[in-house]
Amino acid sequence: MVKYEARVVAIGPLVGEFTQAGILVLFRQGAPEEVADFSILHDGQDLHAPVAAGDQLWLGDESFRILAVGEVANTNLAALGHLVLKFNGQTAPELPGDVCVEARPLPAVSVGLTMKVVG
Amino acid sequence: MSEEKKYRKVRIKKGPKGWGGPLVIEPKPGRDLIYSVTGGGIHPLAAKIAELTGGRPFDGFKSKADFHEIAVAVIDCGGTARVGVYPMKKVPTVDIYPTSPSGPLMRFITEDIFVSGVRIDDLEVID
Repeated sequence: MVKYEARVVAIGPLVGEFTQAGILVLFRQGAPEEVADFSILHDGQDLHAPVAAGDQLWLGDESFRILAVGEVANTNLAALGHLVLKFNGQTAPELPGDVCVEARPLPAVSVGLTMKVVG
Repeated sequence: MSEEKKYRKVRIKKGPKGWGGPLVIEPKPGRDLIYSVTGGGIHPLAAKIAELTGGRPFDGFKSKADFHEIAVAVIDCGGTARVGVYPMKKVPTVDIYPTSPSGPLMRFITEDIFVSGVRIDDLEVID
């Protein structure tokens, strides 16, 4: 099932601070500007089921296996559309907000890109 | 009836497994927002800090404020992004989760501006 679905609506001017570290930070549009500056903003709404290890993350037509989900990641996603994606191959989350996926180069993210979590 | 606002100082210490602080927060005229950047509206911890200090609870996801109006930011950050954003802006920051400095902005996260794992029991009025 599709657990979460969203379309990118804006990309903050400072996302490079995080992408350089292999991290994408997502927030639903409407986040405060100081947070939006570092974030990929999207129009996602309801989280239909908790994201779990083994799910697939789709960014456009590229997919990444989700390897680990931190203990507050689902709360953040449901409440704020907030997701911290780490492309680090870790199978245990380092931080409670982390969602770890396969260690591969970050995909290009542009406005209009569709994101999905399927599990 | 006097409109003069009385503010009080609150010491905020780290909770179990938390990091940083303690912070002493004292709202001032023009800098009295207790700025909640949390899921589900104003967090109970932010509401309590506002009640104890006389500051104004403020939902950062509903309205916009300038940094110089913010006495303290309350976040429910899982460790990567918001933990650094507010310290970077020199805004005293309280994380309800017991996070330690991490993420690309960790160089801004210092004990004098950040405290984590904070619960209502970790607040103390000091004047």
